[in-house]
Amino acid sequence: MRKIPLVAIAVLLAAAPAAALDGTEILKKVDANLQPESFESYRKLINVEPGGARREYLLWTLKKGDDKIASLFLEPASEKGRATLRLGDNMWLYIPGVGKPIRITSLQSVIGGVFNNADIMQLDYHVEYDVRTVEEQGGEYLLDLKAKSTTVAYDQLKMWVDRKTVLPTRIECYAATGLLIKTLYFKEPKAFDDGRLRPAILETDSPLYKGYRSYMVYARIKKRVVPDEVFTLDFLPRLETMR
Amino acid sequence: MKAAPGAAAAFLLWALLVPAGAPRAQGKDDIRLEDIEKEIAQKVERPYSLGGFFEFQPTLFGLDRDAAFYRLRFLDEDEGATAAQYDLRLRLEGSYRKDIFSLFVRADALTTQGDLDSESRLELLEGFASLKPAPGLALDAGKKVVKWGKGYAWNPVAFVDRPKNPEDPELALEGFYLLAGEAIRSFGGPLRTASFTAVALPVDKDVNEEFGEADHLNVAAKLYLLLFDTDLDAMVFTGGSRTTRFGVDFARNITTNFEVHGEWALITDFEQAPVNERGQAVRRVKDVMSYLVGVRYLTERETTFIVEYYRNGTGFTGEQMEDFFRFVETSDTTFRSTGNPTGIRRAITLSEGAYGRPNPMRSYLYARASQKEPFDILYFTPALTTIVNVVDRSFVVIPELTYSPRTNLELRLRGVALVGEERTEFGEKQNDYRLELRVRYYF
Repeated sequence: MRKIPLVAIAVLLAAAPAAALDGTEILKKVDANLQPESFESYRKLINVEPGGARREYLLWTLKKGDDKIASLFLEPASEKGRATLRLGDNMWLYIPGVGKPIRITSLQSVIGGVFNNADIMQLDYHVEYDVRTVEEQGGEYLLDLKAKSTTVAYDQLKMWVDRKTVLPTRIECYAATGLLIKTLYFKEPKAFDDGRLRPAILETDSPLYKGYRSYMVYARIKKRVVPDEVFTLDFLPRLETMR
Repeated sequence: MKAAPGAAAAFLLWALLVPAGAPRAQGKDDIRLEDIEKEIAQKVERPYSLGGFFEFQPTLFGLDRDAAFYRLRFLDEDEGATAAQYDLRLRLEGSYRKDIFSLFVRADALTTQGDLDSESRLELLEGFASLKPAPGLALDAGKKVVKWGKGYAWNPVAFVDRPKNPEDPELALEGFYLLAGEAIRSFGGPLRTASFTAVALPVDKDVNEEFGEADHLNVAAKLYLLLFDTDLDAMVFTGGSRTTRFGVDFARNITTNFEVHGEWALITDFEQAPVNERGQAVRRVKDVMSYLVGVRYLTERETTFIVEYYRNGTGFTGEQMEDFFRFVETSDTTFRSTGNPTGIRRAITLSEGAYGRPNPMRSYLYARASQKEPFDILYFTPALTTIVNVVDRSFVVIPELTYSPRTNLELRLRGVALVGEERTEFGEKQNDYRLELRVRYYF
């Protein structure tokens, strides 16, 4: 009688890391499939109000490695020249003419609408989240993700991943209280400059902004490695020169 | 100029009434990937850019005819209880880049018409050329704002910049003509970034003459470190136009929604000449310290609080400021009763110097609360700001509404109430209140 629980415990102990490892591998694959480790991209962010009015922003972005992202607003004219920088958990906003870049937080939004700064300056998911559980649901995996630290914008994510393409189809973002903050929908897979097939449109809605929707449309994603010095506060006013 | 307010009002009405964007089909947004790709392809390759904004700002001033600064400006003239002013501004910003070379220009054309002032002027805010032989190396020459310091309303360590207006700290500043070199290095480990900036700023009777004493070449330098997720700067300024000064600053996010920052400056051999109530100055030279500590906090409901305490070592004490106001009262009484302008002329000269500059005293508190998009109204931000003179307990209150009804159009309505007893900084300002509407259209 004693052997059965011991065997069960042994099986559980063996199975648990395996599941966690699988989940982590799936998540890393998701990250690798979404974007190269270092790249430049042009994105259009579109906020759509319940009445249909739209507000559009054009961003040029450079990302390097796990934790460096710099973005420059090219449009509209009222935002032109604004630049954001993310180094790990540190985020800054530079407004031309105003002063030194100011520190901003991941939950704020430099553009208004449903996307916040963490969405706009998204790091790889495996950098910010641990996989708690993985389930198979038909043609998809459901990953339950937990933030690695309290500095991450969303405490928990539920990520549905297509098993064939290993690309996310939907992500629900939750606060630590369990409140659903927003849902991200990944749409229109398209081959980009490096031949990588990835969703070109990221749509989001939020129960906190009823009737509003925001879209992030990727028009170009190209592998590019630039020096680390580009991702510094003093370089932010000169970011345009790297385009 | 009378057409200007009417035209601006019509523009404002158009902006508010004409809906932005066509209504969409219920539940379906027209996002066409091919169209967006074409649009981006057209825009991304341009080596130049040109933009800016038109701004119309009508302002109503509520005058305080008993205040010292009213009397110094208008003497015994009665300008009435209120005065109106209309400002029209065209801001142009242009840039051009080719390989390692780039040019940047920011300039204003401004015309003011009003009961108290009428003037038109052109102003070059910034205009400089840059060479960037490598991403970590840059050289700038021309008129430039250097932007040192971490404070929102004040920057005691901004040794080579003009002071901000704490009532409106986000306004673009005018630069000085200078030569600046910058080297940046990135690292792994706790020290992620180090950069060094050196500035040479000449002053003579035609160049940077507002900066300080003429015929000197001033130099300044700053070392920046991003160390253990904390921004750290150390800076120094020396040259004959102003006395030598040293500074440090820092900024750090304690949590994702809570930031702290601070600045400290030591100004050596600072000369101050406070007057007594008879207008006699006593010259004093000594080393003084200025510092600032501040926090920025974002709540879950997206209310942002900014609070800063500013200790201005170069400012006047409460007694020194009271003596100045007493001198103004005496001089004004003498002028009105005898017509002798000697005293009031001296008081006017003093008011154009250290006594009349923004925040001339020792100790200030700045607090601002702004609420992003309350009641689900997108692109709408109400805010309330106060600046308190901690020494004499006078203060300013600034309620403000900012709304962007359509892309590139921004409306800002704000009131500024100045509250204080007699012989206090804000109690003796020319105005009791100010109401202003700012309409900006970016292009």
